[in-house]
Amino acid sequence: MLSPRWKKLVRDLWLARGRTAMMIAAIAVSVFSVGMVLSTYAIIARETRQNYLGTNPASATLELDRVDDALVRSARQRPGIANAEARATLLARAQVAPDEWRPLLLFVVNDFNALQISAFRAEQGAFPPPTGTMLVERAAVSMLNTRIGEQVVVKTPNGARRAVTVAGSIHDPGVAPAWQERAGYGYITPATLAWLGETGGLDELKIVVRDQPMDANAIESTARDLAGWIQTQGYTVKEIQIPPPGKHPHENQTIALVTLILIFSLMSLVLSAILVAAMINGMLAQQIRQIGVMKTIGARTNQIATLYLALILVISGIAFVLSLAPSMVVGRAFAAAVGNLLNVNIVSDEIPVWVFLAQAGAGLLIPVLVAFVPILRGSRVTVYQAITDYGVSQESYGRGIDRFLGAWRGMDRKFLLALRNTFRRRGRFALTLGLLAAAGAMFITGLNVAAAWERNLTDGLAARRYDVEIRLSRPELTAPLLECIGKVAGVKTVEAWGNESTGMTKPGEIDVVNTYPDGGHGSFTLRATPPQTELVKFPVLSGRWLNSSDTDAVVLNHYALALFPNIAIGDRIELAVQGKPTTWRVVGIVREIGSPAAAYVNYDAFANISGQSGMTRAVRVVTSAQDAKRRGEIIHAVERLLNESDVSVAMLISDTELRTAVGEHIAILITLLILMAVAMAIVGVLGLSATMSTNVVERTREFGVIQTIGGTSRAILHIVTSEGTFIGALSLVLAIILSLPLSLTVGNVIGTLAFRAPLPLVVSPLAILIWGVIVLSGAALASALPAWSASRLTIRETLAYI
Amino acid sequence: MANLSDQPNGALVELRGVTKTFPTAAGTFTALKEINLQVNRSEFVAIVGKSGSGKSTLLNLLVGIDRPSAGQVIVGGAAIQSLNQDQIALWRGRNVGVVFQFFQLLPTLTVIENVVLPMDFCNTYPVRERRARAMRLLEQVGVAEQADKLPANLSGGQQQRAAIARALANDPSMLVADEPTGNLDSNTADAVMQLFQDLTATGKTVVMVTHEREVTRWVTRTVTLADGKIVNGAKGGHDA
Repeated sequence: MLSPRWKKLVRDLWLARGRTAMMIAAIAVSVFSVGMVLSTYAIIARETRQNYLGTNPASATLELDRVDDALVRSARQRPGIANAEARATLLARAQVAPDEWRPLLLFVVNDFNALQISAFRAEQGAFPPPTGTMLVERAAVSMLNTRIGEQVVVKTPNGARRAVTVAGSIHDPGVAPAWQERAGYGYITPATLAWLGETGGLDELKIVVRDQPMDANAIESTARDLAGWIQTQGYTVKEIQIPPPGKHPHENQTIALVTLILIFSLMSLVLSAILVAAMINGMLAQQIRQIGVMKTIGARTNQIATLYLALILVISGIAFVLSLAPSMVVGRAFAAAVGNLLNVNIVSDEIPVWVFLAQAGAGLLIPVLVAFVPILRGSRVTVYQAITDYGVSQESYGRGIDRFLGAWRGMDRKFLLALRNTFRRRGRFALTLGLLAAAGAMFITGLNVAAAWERNLTDGLAARRYDVEIRLSRPELTAPLLECIGKVAGVKTVEAWGNESTGMTKPGEIDVVNTYPDGGHGSFTLRATPPQTELVKFPVLSGRWLNSSDTDAVVLNHYALALFPNIAIGDRIELAVQGKPTTWRVVGIVREIGSPAAAYVNYDAFANISGQSGMTRAVRVVTSAQDAKRRGEIIHAVERLLNESDVSVAMLISDTELRTAVGEHIAILITLLILMAVAMAIVGVLGLSATMSTNVVERTREFGVIQTIGGTSRAILHIVTSEGTFIGALSLVLAIILSLPLSLTVGNVIGTLAFRAPLPLVVSPLAILIWGVIVLSGAALASALPAWSASRLTIRETLAYI
Repeated sequence: MANLSDQPNGALVELRGVTKTFPTAAGTFTALKEINLQVNRSEFVAIVGKSGSGKSTLLNLLVGIDRPSAGQVIVGGAAIQSLNQDQIALWRGRNVGVVFQFFQLLPTLTVIENVVLPMDFCNTYPVRERRARAMRLLEQVGVAEQADKLPANLSGGQQQRAAIARALANDPSMLVADEPTGNLDSNTADAVMQLFQDLTATGKTVVMVTHEREVTRWVTRTVTLADGKIVNGAKGGHDA
């Protein structure tokens, strides 16, 4: 049997069921978002790590002139080495359509049945693949436009074209998803490598260190020791590759994704908290006389406070319970979708207990904490204050803006009354305005950041003013090559560039790079540009771009700077070029989107150092095409000509393909930003409806008085909708102002995580327009509906309203 | 909190040199000026005066709703201005029943629940006895058949009777009523006044603020206020 005070609580909730439902819905949406994102994060972080670590990734890969069984056996016995295995990696090309080729990374494995390092798991077909066949990573099958059992034409750098049968598929969680990289991954035996026309055998030694396998410095130290010993055995160590230990190539992307959702979930929770504060404030204002009566008959402050805190707990408790199951279901589904995008198997979708605890904390504690101050203030009100309350700030009456509005001539008096009402209830006004402005700012921020992301990508790619980059398997004479390509109809400009993998080096030491086995992620490339090239125009972040007179100048892109953050303009750095240390002076830092770390030097200086004067391994081509179809035709014609001229193409990266690859990396983030903005809009609209209707309900007596002195229902509607629209308009202005620093901050966090550079500040007019329509029409409607209901009450009913 | 006890001079309520001022935009307004008043047990006192004479201010001071700017309000031996808000709330809940002009029943509670509420807040009777006691009080004021209705479904007179039952919930020694008949027709008003008179016969003290001068036939004493001063009836005793 409930005591009367708790019955009052239940009936108050029921009486205001519309507003209670909106409050519950707003909190539930926010708590759902938090629970969903934390569930996704918990599952994805755990499963990505377990998938990746399950491959037993190599701590380091030593690139040698050759690796034989004897060396592998000896390496396994060396101090600090837990295991060692021989491999080879080769960049080939696969034909995916007539005249259309895609990069194909071939991983050569000595013994498929004894995989111990960087392992992968058979999924379908023959395992190991017979000679003349290959296994394809499951996410790469569609990228190669093939099926298991079908043949793919493959061209290796030194071999002829061969039709290779796809013997089966495997799952390799150690590589980035093929669809994002726009490349294929094939797994072959050394016999197939030879069959493809490549004479080189296995040349990589993959090692796993025994001690501190997650410490990059410890790994480097062990790998250098091993490399030193290997060199004493008559082998040549060209390079040591140490990818970030235990970190999936797309871990940053995943973190950016989850961080993004988390930021918006927390913002949504803040929004709900403001909503709770606004609602509770409205409820207390509405019930202030009841509080006075309760105190008159003996209620103490703590009894009143407990009553209203319990009310908040009931509301947030219902919201939490409602959000629990959907957040688990959607969190799991979202984790599965993200896992699919990252090519990660979700072995277990178990959600850890801490997620529920965090969700409960966010859902129950935050609303209570936020409501605590208004509840305490409302409960402490004296009986005298309660029975003499008119809900109007005495300080604001007849002063400042109130006096200004009162003296405004020529304006509709009812509209002026609405404006003066707005400013006289300062507490309520501040909370309603705060809620609407926060919701608007978050909505606009979501779309601003999405627009900034697109702008970042567009600007980044616009800095590249060529249509295709062609990398060759071996150096070719520059002049005949340029002449040959230049003759192709539609080719406007062709330039010879240098392109070499590099790394920071010290004299006498073996190069150490952070490259993953795919050769792309974590790579650092030295690019040589022709003097005064017009084909790239990167935004200069500090220093300057190259001059034609530069002989030892180097310009780093911001990714390279992130790898070596202590470098400053004017510093001298040692970069390895074809295994030889070379010294360069840093003259500038540029922002380059859509590329790994790169250092730019003048072509002549590079040719002198590399000893390849008059030769080139890369060209960049500009076509005269106006559309993608024609551009594609010209590129195919260039490729056909190179094939006919026996020029071996290692990789062809068209602008279209690059845009697709970069776009695929970020598409999910853009989608999420828009979804988050929509979630903000939902919470905002719920908050808007709840607070505006509370504003009206708490003034029921005032409407009775207005009607008593001759005001019509129409006049009341006019006053209320004017007030609602005015608050909506004011909140829109505030939301736009607030969204600027918010967009900048969110863009900074997300841009730094994803691109290692903040996103630019972009204001989306569409976002402002959409929110403007929502907030203005919503505010008017949310005020008009309860005002219409209130205006239908009899004067006696409204005056008896306590 | 102790029950009300009489002062050494026999008074249940005593105001000693009470002044109440309010700050206003036009300067300080003095609502009550050095009021001295005694109310004895079982008295039925009417405080009358014109609008703005200070009646409601005096009533607010009597029940601890407001505090004097100067002087002392001693009720049942306690100087109530020395208590904090929570102590005053508990003291008032147990010792004083308040009846308002507009009844002020909580709209989401039934009539009987409204009557049980003071017992609930002050924890004065065992839980299982509260409903029965509330029903007895409703019978006493003549609205028992309305017990399970919401206040909005009752007439003004019925609501005021229910409000009196609520005021009696914790068996207070004193009832304080602010214009209790101001919102009622004359027949209903007479019935309410009769109820108050009956209560004084059972030992309760009733202090009532009213602007109606015809109440003299019901009350034992009339205190007249004008411009914040008592112009008649300050002394206690059944002398009216």
